[in-house]
Amino acid sequence: MNLKPNLKIALIIITIIALISIGFKAKPILGNYDDFNPEKVYKITYRFFFKSGDKNTTLKTYIPTTNSRQRISGEQIKNDSLLFFTKQKEKHQNIRAIWETNDTNSYHSIDYEFIFEGKAKHYKIPNTFNKLSEEYDEYLKATNDIQSNDSIINTLASGLIQNTKNDREIIKNIFDYVYEIPSAPIITLTDALTTIKQNKASCNGKSRLFVALCRNMGYPARVKGGIIVENANKRTSHAWVEVLINQTWVPFDGLNNHFAFIPANYLELYQGDKPLITHTADIQFDYSYQIDEVNHVSFLKMNSEELHKLPGFSLWNLVDKKIIPKGALNLLLLLPIGGLLVAFLRNIVGLKTFGVFLPVLIAFSLSHTGFVSGIAIFVGLIMFIGLIAYPFDKLRLLYTPKLVISLTIMVSLIVVATHFGVKNNIEWLTKLTFFPIIILTISAERFSRSTLEDGYIKAMDKLFQTLIATSISYLILSWTWLPSVLILFPEIVLLIVVLATFLGRYIGIRWIELFRFKPLFNSENKKLNF
Amino acid sequence: MFSIIFNKKSIAASSVIGLNERNIKLIYPNNPKKHYPLADDKVLTKEILHQNDIPCAKTYAVIEYNSDIKKAWESCKQYNAVAIKPANGCGGGGIKILKKNKEGDWMSSGEVITDRQVFQHMASIIMGFFSLGSHDRVLIEECIEPHPFFHEIYPQGVPDFRIITLNNTPLMGMLRMPTDRSDGKANLHQNGVGIGIDMKEGRLLEVYDGKKYSNHHPDSTFLVNGAPIPYWEEILEICISTAKAFPLNYLGIDIVIDKNKGPQIMEINVRPGLGIQLVNKTGLKEVIKEAI
Repeated sequence: MNLKPNLKIALIIITIIALISIGFKAKPILGNYDDFNPEKVYKITYRFFFKSGDKNTTLKTYIPTTNSRQRISGEQIKNDSLLFFTKQKEKHQNIRAIWETNDTNSYHSIDYEFIFEGKAKHYKIPNTFNKLSEEYDEYLKATNDIQSNDSIINTLASGLIQNTKNDREIIKNIFDYVYEIPSAPIITLTDALTTIKQNKASCNGKSRLFVALCRNMGYPARVKGGIIVENANKRTSHAWVEVLINQTWVPFDGLNNHFAFIPANYLELYQGDKPLITHTADIQFDYSYQIDEVNHVSFLKMNSEELHKLPGFSLWNLVDKKIIPKGALNLLLLLPIGGLLVAFLRNIVGLKTFGVFLPVLIAFSLSHTGFVSGIAIFVGLIMFIGLIAYPFDKLRLLYTPKLVISLTIMVSLIVVATHFGVKNNIEWLTKLTFFPIIILTISAERFSRSTLEDGYIKAMDKLFQTLIATSISYLILSWTWLPSVLILFPEIVLLIVVLATFLGRYIGIRWIELFRFKPLFNSENKKLNF
Repeated sequence: MFSIIFNKKSIAASSVIGLNERNIKLIYPNNPKKHYPLADDKVLTKEILHQNDIPCAKTYAVIEYNSDIKKAWESCKQYNAVAIKPANGCGGGGIKILKKNKEGDWMSSGEVITDRQVFQHMASIIMGFFSLGSHDRVLIEECIEPHPFFHEIYPQGVPDFRIITLNNTPLMGMLRMPTDRSDGKANLHQNGVGIGIDMKEGRLLEVYDGKKYSNHHPDSTFLVNGAPIPYWEEILEICISTAKAFPLNYLGIDIVIDKNKGPQIMEINVRPGLGIQLVNKTGLKEVIKEAI
């Protein structure tokens, strides 16, 4: 690569500055590496207010513990000195926080605060389950609200067993049956039988019925209690179910349609069919859960203040102050990296793509729609545009009006498809939000322009190469660490400029040209041999 | 690792020029972007050719506005054959060759064409139908009759020479010919064939069809390899004078040989393709080194 001396010096200086700046931050960051990698981090505060009664007053609630998919830290308890606080370990690894007072007829408030870091977890379910030891007998017993031995449950269970081949299908049938029950925010206690009779239930009723059906068929099952955390002030807790499958408790949520899956924002608090809060009867009591999402870098053990104190320059301020929405900031930061990648694919590999940033932007849209369905939608729509453009070509319409027709038809198609998807519950059809539609529209325009300039065969070839570039961009850009790395080390942008300058002066043969000019290279080798 | 990615070794060993090197070493320093229209717009190209008395198809009329179509077409009716082209067309779209038959009716692609149809075609050229939406001009010019030399190799379509020049020096050339599969087009991408040229001797070399080399055109038995090219000296001369006439120093010049008038410049290209290296089995770098 033949660069002018001034340019070379400038590039070297830029590289050194960037590397020094990165070096300053690298040490504290590497020292705080965290292999837990939470997807969601929230600060959760239980807030309780009550007026104590005439005698001793007690308030009990479950508090979470750390496990393989949730990490609890930063516990802080604020209560007045008249309250006596204890923690109590209970059966089934549940932990309860208990506040007691002898101070009668007085107002009290409690703030119990902790940091929750959560990960989603998928479970694989085998087709047949192993035989169980007796230690799990208690998870097969009927209770007052989980009437697993009742004849109605019996009948329902034998109906669900019919035409099933294995344990997995039975569990799936139970899940589907419970999921189909219309959900309703019912506050009063709904037991398993009532859920069947009313044919509507909240998370509690559905969970009890799910557990009752499992226990009836001999699968140990239990109710699980917790909170769906989201950036809000809320009062509702949540209940779901765990079934013991080959020594693993596998989660199922028949209300929110999570089959053998627990989302990152599910805070697990306790197991068993119990209320989250209990208190002495007949007192004035109010509560809320205050939940705030905490900005975090998934691979770092550092909190926001520690990140602010990093030496040198980082973009953490933009993230923390929410100056730019997080998604937009990520897109902004990834665009140069994606551009560099496409430049590499075009100038060194030799791929032909529609535009420079289009493969990158399509890759971003794919992160909204999912890769496979996104590619399917993309190719389908573009083929469709190609097909409908054909009769209008024959009509000899001018280019721009013809484009308007194509795009109008495409937008209508997207709207109809989304409508159809919503109506028939086909999820992947409903994912074309504003951003992917814009990108698809631009791509379709480029494609139809290319069919005119280069003909259909070349345009298809270019489309195929664009898809290859898109897939490679998607692979690299969907690496979740990348935006965080760029936020911590914005100097990388300088390195991108340096690399792009080198690419811009690159005069070597492209990889694809190695094939194109193969006969020439072969004959040259022969000449050398003579 | 780095040398694999950047093909370091093959750069050193090879004399083949790729797209990257063509752009950075040949096009950017030699062809200022502001002069591109001189090559891209056929009307502007021909103005310069006429000014410098370089042989090319005679311009019969240039039509800029719809209102001028009728008058211009009346003035062209005296000729027996004309070619109608969009000045900024791409990929050969919108070109119509019209010839009079014995009854004096105009024929296009074997069918009689009415004045009204001719007007419509010209109107769609002006509206930019063949130049992606931008307003365009109609160029009506003399129709070239290929030299009988070409008939011996392959009788159909219009074959043309492509000569690459750098700083007014012809570097490399090829003859492009249509085939049975190429629908009258001489372009290598569209199933035409390229024939290499010995620039010093003015003789044809092997025929390249995009995959393999042979001594014959795929649709005839005439021995091409070694055949002398008629008017070769004139072809080189008009190439050099064309290269001198334009403020562009790296050009692909397209030339046809007319039955009566000899070599004629058809058009010039500021971004000539690199396939010519394959046709001649020679890298451009080697030729450039020799020329300097």
